Amino acid sequence: MMNMKGLALAAGLVAGLMGSTALAEPVTATPGQEVNAVLLPKFLGILPFDQANRGAQEAAAELGSTGKLEYIGPTPENSAAGQIEMLTTATTQKQHVVMLSNNAGDQIAATAEAAQAAGTKVVTWDSPIPNGAGESFFVAQVDFGSIGVVMADMAYDLAGGAGEFAVLSASPDAANQNAWIDMMKEALKGDKYKDLKLVDVVYGNDQSEESYNRALGLVDKYPDLKVIMAPTTVGIVAAAKAMQDEGLCEKVKVSGLGLPAEMVSYSLNGCAPQFALWSFVDLGYLTYHASYALATGAIKGEVGEEFTAGRMGTFKIEEDPGRPGTKRVLMGPFTVYTKENVEAAAN
Amino acid sequence: MIGALKSWEGGLLLVFLATLALNAAFAPEFLTVQNQINLFQLSIEKIIVALVMALVIMNAEIDLSVASVMGLSAVVFAYLLNQGWGGGGALVVCLGVGLLAGMVNAVLVAKVGIPSLVVTLAMMIGYRGFSRVIVQDTSLGNFPEWITDLGQQGLIGPLPLSMVLFFLLLVGLGVLLHRTGFGRQVVVIGTNAEVARFSGLDVSRVKATLFVMSSVISAIAGVLYAARLGSVRGDSALGFELDIITMVLLGGVSIFGGKGSMMGVFLSILIILNLRNGMALLNITGHVQTGVIGILLILSVLLPNIVTELRARRARA
Repeated sequence: MMNMKGLALAAGLVAGLMGSTALAEPVTATPGQEVNAVLLPKFLGILPFDQANRGAQEAAAELGSTGKLEYIGPTPENSAAGQIEMLTTATTQKQHVVMLSNNAGDQIAATAEAAQAAGTKVVTWDSPIPNGAGESFFVAQVDFGSIGVVMADMAYDLAGGAGEFAVLSASPDAANQNAWIDMMKEALKGDKYKDLKLVDVVYGNDQSEESYNRALGLVDKYPDLKVIMAPTTVGIVAAAKAMQDEGLCEKVKVSGLGLPAEMVSYSLNGCAPQFALWSFVDLGYLTYHASYALATGAIKGEVGEEFTAGRMGTFKIEEDPGRPGTKRVLMGPFTVYTKENVEAAAN
Repeated sequence: MIGALKSWEGGLLLVFLATLALNAAFAPEFLTVQNQINLFQLSIEKIIVALVMALVIMNAEIDLSVASVMGLSAVVFAYLLNQGWGGGGALVVCLGVGLLAGMVNAVLVAKVGIPSLVVTLAMMIGYRGFSRVIVQDTSLGNFPEWITDLGQQGLIGPLPLSMVLFFLLLVGLGVLLHRTGFGRQVVVIGTNAEVARFSGLDVSRVKATLFVMSSVISAIAGVLYAARLGSVRGDSALGFELDIITMVLLGGVSIFGGKGSMMGVFLSILIILNLRNGMALLNITGHVQTGVIGILLILSVLLPNIVTELRARRARA
């Protein structure tokens, strides 16, 4: 038995070594090739996606792609159906690669598979296709598990270690938010959080007014609520404004994922003393680099491949621990903002 | 020939041909078979319901509950599949949902006599509420593969099931409207229900039939929607009724009833789908698309009035 095990181990080592020699050098894609790409956010009209586009445009200019980079997206009310329509259209247009922040859940998987079959690569960023079907790989902003822990910790700090809190999320089909909430629930099982109680999860669909009303609804329903945790840049602003308008900032703190530029006043006045985020510009930049390398054939999109992404350095394709059988490129890390550092980041 | 072109359908045909020509000239991918199929598929459930909505509006009624019935049927279908039901059984229940919804509308409009605008508006809100209660804030998926295949892949050559149904329904309802006694009754009642009643027509039976047809076809469209997307939510098909009514009105069906043709509605559907597809291929999306179709609708409402007014003036002169 020992021998068999030893043999298997040795074989594994050899395979590993061979694998690593074959892929020892990170791949650098040849600049100046024609890559027609579409950056498809959940919807148009909010700052983080515009920032991601800025990063993608920066990378496209740097790589000197002779193809086009289109930034198109649906309206928020029509997000899921609109994304499916646009991915279908991009396939018809024979685009080389579509960079998708998925807001359609698994509803878009069939369309993504059809795109891949027709030669259009689909790289997801920000929000993946939950079952991974039709997706080359996912460019993850941060490790989804660690977001769960950070959200649990921020709730813990703001609630003073004990009490009720609720989540105000984006849409029920937003794969990224759903995964983070699950990870947070997982983290909450730890002994440290035993006096912290998650009482509800509601959805504002990333619409300001709906999120605002949902936040007020939470306060009405749970009189002892201490924290509203909104893992979406639209929801957190709406919730903070709702608490400020109602004069509830002393009682109910808002936290989650927010843009410093939009959150600075709520951070300073104590409505949202603590929140976190990563750079969407960098996320767009990295996503374009990865997509360019994939579309030009410099990488195949397989686990273990490494590639360079300009100013951000080297990245590796790995198994996505949150979605078994799928692949991700991990960007990370993220920053927790408080009144000490929010002003500097807001400019 | 000239006479035909002066009709509403003639005008629509010209607009359609112009759209085709522009699309073919500017979007090289437009004329591929797959794109032509995609163009129908992406809106297939709406255009199926638009066909029966044409009859309802010609009858001087309106059914605002169609999209909520679609949504409810899609949700019930997904729910039952997730409870381990077979596809056939779930489909039958959904047809039952459509039948029941249609009968409620029919009784309240045709027997009790409440205006259809009010009845179907209330049902639109009510059925949407049921959908949201059933799925809460999540989505329901994990359908058996044969169901999603039927929703997404070709059945006859590259034509998916839903497209085959659409064309069958187009011909079927076209014949019903223009070649049968029932069709003539729909139009006569739509022109003037009082006169029709005094002439001995069973007005409430015709109206009731139309509302039941409308809901049952909406329920079928809901199942097709679920099968195409492979997963549904409480807000599935939300707001579709406005797109559907737009298609019918642009097709030359009078909102006051009594006037319109299946050919006009078909041409209007072709124009809207081709416009959307062409604009999407040229990367014009979202609000601009909505705006262009809005302008078309405004023109379609204004033009007939302007033409009538001009003719009246000429006659006076």
